[in-house]
Amino acid sequence: MKPVPLVLLITSVLLSHIPLSFCRPRDLNSLHNQLDDLLLGRPGGGGGGDAMSVLMGEKLLQYLQRSAQRAGGALHLPAPQQDNSLEELSEFSKRNDDPPISIDLTFHLLRNMIEMARIENQREQAELNRKYLDEVGK
Amino acid sequence: MSATSRAQLCFLLLSVTALRGHARFLDMQDNEISPEGLLSLLSSELKRELPEEFVYRRALRCLDMVAVEGQFTFTAERPQLNCAVFFIGEPTDVISIEYDSVNIDCRGGDFIKVFDGWVMKGEKFPSSQDHPLPLYERYTDYCETGVSRPIVRSSQNVAMLFFRLHQSGSSFTVTFRKLINPFPCNVVSQTPEGSFTMIIPQQHRNCSFSIIYPVEIQIGELSLGQHNDLKRSILGCAGSGDFVELLGGNGMDTSKMFPMADLCYSFNGPAQMKVGCDNTVVRMVSSGKFVNRVSFQYRLLGHQELQQMKGNSVEDVCLRA
Repeated sequence: MKPVPLVLLITSVLLSHIPLSFCRPRDLNSLHNQLDDLLLGRPGGGGGGDAMSVLMGEKLLQYLQRSAQRAGGALHLPAPQQDNSLEELSEFSKRNDDPPISIDLTFHLLRNMIEMARIENQREQAELNRKYLDEVGK
Repeated sequence: MSATSRAQLCFLLLSVTALRGHARFLDMQDNEISPEGLLSLLSSELKRELPEEFVYRRALRCLDMVAVEGQFTFTAERPQLNCAVFFIGEPTDVISIEYDSVNIDCRGGDFIKVFDGWVMKGEKFPSSQDHPLPLYERYTDYCETGVSRPIVRSSQNVAMLFFRLHQSGSSFTVTFRKLINPFPCNVVSQTPEGSFTMIIPQQHRNCSFSIIYPVEIQIGELSLGQHNDLKRSILGCAGSGDFVELLGGNGMDTSKMFPMADLCYSFNGPAQMKVGCDNTVVRMVSSGKFVNRVSFQYRLLGHQELQQMKGNSVEDVCLRA
């Protein structure tokens, strides 16, 4: 039974050497840009950037996105003229139903494209993992 | 100090040490630890905060396929009138496309449109019968809603971006992300081999798993909430509100594919079928009254198998065995 507590003890000592900042999200320029956009976009938006937490910013972004989706999601049909209302509606429907561009791929080409995309994904995932490990090792 | 007490103290120390950093992270939410807050820690949307060097970037081609998250830019060196980018994730992903910057002339006939699914040769996946949205809602036009709605999200693991740029120098940049979809419904498989479990949790909808290869499908388990007796299956699945069907075809639209087999009774154990079509689909129809579930494996049919099926086949419909 003795080795078990010893393992726990060693693990806790190792964990205690992980700097606290590692658990925080990084201070990013892109994040500042997003926050600046939020602050500039808000009517009467005050308060310093320091006061806004990262997750609060994230929540605000999500809230704004949902609001925008609700607003943007509403379908506004063009006002049909009285004489051509049916024709107008039919034309509108046709425009939206038809693919804007015709893509004529064979299944053979499609499979090859997917295979190449998978390889790219796996390669970049490996590269990303390497970068994470390098970052941890600093 | 007894051994038990010492072990408990060590465990307590380990727990406190491990939680020390995360607690401060949670504190940033105005001291509220809500389930939503906890889930946000696991959300892949936090990847938005990745530093620049961790983001994958490359140029888009006029005709392109993307499966990796990152930022993608297209710049027209000449008029580009018929371009499309296919996006695909894992079966349990949905796709998020965000417009980062757009420099196109909407009034001059340029457009960027995102389609919730794939379109190929006029055929759509998911078909209109399987997709929860009407067709016109599946298109999102940047020129109409791009500014107010910079992020478009798909309903399944595939989406498509069409664009037309009339002038050289026009360009756009989008960020592609993959988000977790806990109950995948419509799926395009990236591979000709694999396994999948489709669950429809008391929802009135139809779901299709598309394998764009000729494959042998082996169903390991089928669980339909209602208990159909074996006699009814002899008459086929007509009248059954919950069933699974295997479809084969040479296009993307499942509503235009041939029914190869249908199953409307629960069972355990292997039931296999070979479908020699360009596209093989496992489709589940759900009444919404029950939790329905099907588990299956699939593997690519070899050239010799296809030849043998062709030799045995009398019909012109895709080969089956």
